[in-house]
Order: sequence, then structure tokens, then C-alpha cells
Amino acid sequence: MDLVLVGLNHKTAPIEVRERVAFTETAIPDALRCLQDDFGFQEAMIVSTCNRVEVFGKGSDNGTAVEQIKEFLARHHQIGRSLLDDHLYSYMKDDLVRHVFRVASSLDSMVPGEAQILGQLKTAFATACDEGVTGTELCRLLPHAFFVAKRVRNETKIASSAVSISSVAVELARKIFGDLDGQKVLLIGAGKMSELAAQSLLKSGASKLEVTNRTLSKAAIVADKFNGSVVPFEQMETALIKSDIVIVSTGAKEYVLNPDVMDRVIRKRKYDPLFVIDISVPRNVNPEVNEIENVFLYDIDDLQSVVESNLEERAKEAASAEEIIVQEVGNFSNILSQRNLGPLVKSLRTRLETICLEELGRDKGGLTDADYEKVQRIMLRAAHRIAHPLMMEIKKAQSNPSQQYHKVEMIREAFDLDDSE
Amino acid sequence: MGVGFGCHTGFLIIRGFEKAFFPSSGLRESLAFLAWTVCLCFLIAQARYRIKALGLFLLPLVATLMLSTVFIKSSPIPDILRSSWFYLHTTSIFLAYAMFFVTFIAGILYLLQERELKSKKPKTFYYQLPSLKTIDDLFLKFLIAGFTFMTFGLIAGIIWAEKEWVQGWQKDPKVMSAMVTWAIYLLLIYLRASAGWRGRRAVLISLLGFASVVFTFLGVSFFGGQHSF
Repeated sequence: MDLVLVGLNHKTAPIEVRERVAFTETAIPDALRCLQDDFGFQEAMIVSTCNRVEVFGKGSDNGTAVEQIKEFLARHHQIGRSLLDDHLYSYMKDDLVRHVFRVASSLDSMVPGEAQILGQLKTAFATACDEGVTGTELCRLLPHAFFVAKRVRNETKIASSAVSISSVAVELARKIFGDLDGQKVLLIGAGKMSELAAQSLLKSGASKLEVTNRTLSKAAIVADKFNGSVVPFEQMETALIKSDIVIVSTGAKEYVLNPDVMDRVIRKRKYDPLFVIDISVPRNVNPEVNEIENVFLYDIDDLQSVVESNLEERAKEAASAEEIIVQEVGNFSNILSQRNLGPLVKSLRTRLETICLEELGRDKGGLTDADYEKVQRIMLRAAHRIAHPLMMEIKKAQSNPSQQYHKVEMIREAFDLDDSE
Repeated sequence: MGVGFGCHTGFLIIRGFEKAFFPSSGLRESLAFLAWTVCLCFLIAQARYRIKALGLFLLPLVATLMLSTVFIKSSPIPDILRSSWFYLHTTSIFLAYAMFFVTFIAGILYLLQERELKSKKPKTFYYQLPSLKTIDDLFLKFLIAGFTFMTFGLIAGIIWAEKEWVQGWQKDPKVMSAMVTWAIYLLLIYLRASAGWRGRRAVLISLLGFASVVFTFLGVSFFGGQHSF
């Protein structure tokens, strides 16, 4: 493997540096051609997101390739080499493979488990393919990285918990109500933040929206946006009884919801759980409301603390994801060492032929020479026909490197083959 | 789990044939049969709700019940119990007890998840347990099913007693205790329907009800009467 990677990310470089090194989407094709034509790279790829810039290149030898990429970045962005060198990292061989797998699986992200990076990596690879600057190395590495990312996503819970305020609101609502289908949302106050939260709840299945506000005209604007209805501010209590999720965000300086009101409401609801989200600062819901049975009050800090717990949970999952990475780096280097299936085909055929000839030799009494030759021909043909579907099976698994690896290993073991070059 | 349940079912059938009797008389067989009904309830609940934590509570009980049967000698079967009413009576009551146990566990799970949600610092239970709504649903369904079976079992018992039993079944300690149990669960259903008692209050009552079940099942024997093992 003669690929090298030079780059920087949110851990090695501050935003002031990252923004200077970033490539705009439209600049990437030209930059790739520059790497190929001016620097003589056989393969190249550029990943540029707000948190990372990474340049892949395959040159004549690894040492000079790293230098050349650094030179290219400095020249392309007109930044001094000394500033760049402080923030750049470089990888090659197995370290590069591990790094790419970790990036694709979102283990190297600012928020581990976020889904965007995989898409960005796919786009970067597609752009490089379109520009014709990819070859065997990138075409082997990237699909495997996408496959690893999929495995990590499926086999760990790294991406399953919510890590933003509005998605946490949805997650909590699900923990209370099961699914959100048919749940009724009440907005008290018509701020921007409450709109966002309402939007994500509605998108997740909540069906009905009511809006109430001291100034009804403002409530009407929001209600129109989400196909909801307006409730007069004085009738808030009745509206609370009928709602399941309440989002409070008024500009008021005092509490809008107090325990006495909520106590009445929850009794009338027959203790059907009520989820109250207070996203106003200063708070608009008296914190004592949370002590009422089956009323669950979350203010903005509470939501943030759930975000943090979820992040910790993701960090735990990241540990098992790292195990998958280690395993796959091993698989990948094994696959590299056998990329040419030719020797395997040859040694499998030889093995089968030997078996045929051995058996024939053991029991050839009574056959004329002509018969013997004919039987031999038939047996060898049979041997080749047996080998054929086995090899087809391996070729079929080409899109799934680890599966292919396992299949190859199985055949190797079963027939006791030695096809190392 | 399913395999164990299958074997257990098979064993109960064999045991039944061996003694030519439904295997639910005597302490030893009662415990084994109860373990079987709890397993049955667990499998039903699992198929419907997929709550992993349920097994955490139910399976130790099953294990304890089965283990305890090893140390208890099986007792001979009095002739009076050879009646089809007996089958109806015991089967219904045992199923009811197992279901009340599930109800009780569901109540505890509800409290755990409620506490997680109130604390705002989610920990293991928050991630592992299903939503409050789901747990509440499990609680209610098993409560009603258990109550129905118990009502049915009690009626079967009363008819049977009237038909062929000695006088004074009303004063039998087990009958009285079972009536109290039944009344507690009736109260729980009533409060749930009228005032929406759930969560902490409901769990407290189901705890009381379940304590009454345990007392009826095991404790009453010390007071003698027709039901004693």
C-alpha cells in the first residue's frame, strides 16, 4: 500500500487555521488535477469539511509524497509552511487504514456517531472518481471504509441516542409516550426556539398543534406555519388538559405555569403523563412542577444534561466500535495480501487435479492405456467444474471485502492450500 | 428459555399421567406449576413487549421456585381433589397469581423509568427500559387478565365447595385471604378507572395485593383449614 494521507482536524487545528485550509466544493476538481499534473500523483482524493481537511495521494514513494502534499497545501492556500506543519498530521500503511476507518465510522468526529461524515467521505470519493484520479488503492480502501462504517453503525449503538437539544426532546417524548403518533403539542409563547422543537416533534409523528400567546396575532402566525390552531391565553388550562407535550417559551420575566395549576390539570387528566419543555430563559415554568406525579418538566439545562449523558453513552459504544476497527484493519491487510486471486485459483485447481490423479493411480487395474487416458480426462474436467463455482462464489463477494476474505479463508483451510507468492 | 418451558410442559404432562392427576396439588407440585405459569406469562409478555429487564425479575423467581421443589417431598393426593372443578379452580388461580406477579414487576419498572425521567440524569435504566406508556400498558393488561382469572377461579372454587365439600368453606383461612386479595385488586382497578391511579400509587397497591397473594399461597397453611398443604 503506497497511499499517504496528510491533513488536519478539529483536534489538531483551531478554526482560524481550518477555514484557511478548507477547499470549497468547486475548487476540489482543479486541486485534484493539480495534484496529478503538477505533483505527479497517480491517485488523489481531497476530503474537506468544517472539521477536517485531508488529502490522500499515491506518489512514487511515501516520504516525498507527504512532503509534496504539504507543499501543495501551502501553495494552494498561500499559507506559510511553518504554520501548516504545526497542525498537520500524516498517515501511511496500516495507520492510514485505521484512520480512514475511524473517520468513516465517525469515531474521529467532534460528536462521535454523527452521520454526516460518511456522506462527505462518499462525496469526496465520488468527486475523485469523476476526475479520474483514483486507482486500485483508493478504490480498494474507500469501499472497505464504507463497509466498516456500516458495520459500526449496525453493531454498536453509537448513533442511537440523541445529541442535540431538539432531538433529545423527541427522544424523551418517546421514553414517556412510546411513539409520538397522535400526540398533541401545545406551544405557550411563540419564540423561534419553540418553533424548532415543535417542528421536530411534528416531524416525528406528533399530530396536532395548538398555539397560545398573550398576543394572539403572533400565535396565529406560528399556528399557520404548522397547520395548527390558536387558543386564547385565558383558556390555557383547558388546552393543557387536552395536550400531551407542552413547549413553553414566552418572553415573560415570571413563571407562567405554577404547581397549583398543574396539579389541577394532572388530576383532570387522570394522571395521564404530561411532558413540559421549558426553553425560556429566564424560566417560565416553576421548577416545583416537576415534583407533581407524572408531570415531567425539562428546562434547557436539563435537556443539555441529557445530551451529555447520551454523549457519555456514545463514548462507551465507541470502545466497542474501536474493536471492530482493529479487526477490520487486520482483515483489510489480509485482503491486500491476496488481492490477486490468480494464485488461489491455480493452487485450488492443482490440488483437485492431484486428488483425481492420486485416486486414479491407486485403482487403475484392468484399464487399457486408452481407457486410462479417457478416464483421466473426464476426472480432470470434473475437477475443474468443481473448482469453478467455488471461485465464482469468491468473485461474487467482491463488493464485501470481509465476506470475501472469510470465504477465501474457508476454501484455503478446507483444501489445505498454500498459494502465498 | 422457550426450550426450558417446553421441557417443563412435557414434565408436567408426564407427572400428570404418572399420578393420573393434574399436577397442582401439594406444595411441591404447586410450586412447580406456579413456576410454569410464571414462565408462560413471561413468554407472553416478552413476545408482546420485548422488555429485556422483565426477565431480570421473573427468571430468578422461576429458578427459586424450581429449586425449592427439589427439597420438598411430594405429598399423596386426597381423593376429594379428584374433580374437574379442582383443575379449573387451581389453574385459574395459579395463572392469576403469575399475572399479578408480572403486574407487580411492571409497576417496579414503571417506578424505575419514572425516576430516571424525573432525575434528568439518564442512566442504565433509561436506556434499557421501554417507555412509560409501554410499561403502563403491560401493567394494565396483566392486571385485568389476572383479575379475570382470579374471579373465574374463585367462582369455580365456590361452586365446587358448594357441590361436594364440607360445610363452612367461607371460614377457611385461605378462602378469606384470597377474598381479601381479590378485593385489593378490585380496588386497584376501580381507582385506575375512576381516578387514573398509576405510577407510584398503583405500584403500592399492587405491592399490597402481591403480598396478599404470597400470604394466601404460603402463609395461610399455618392456620390449617381445607387448603393447607
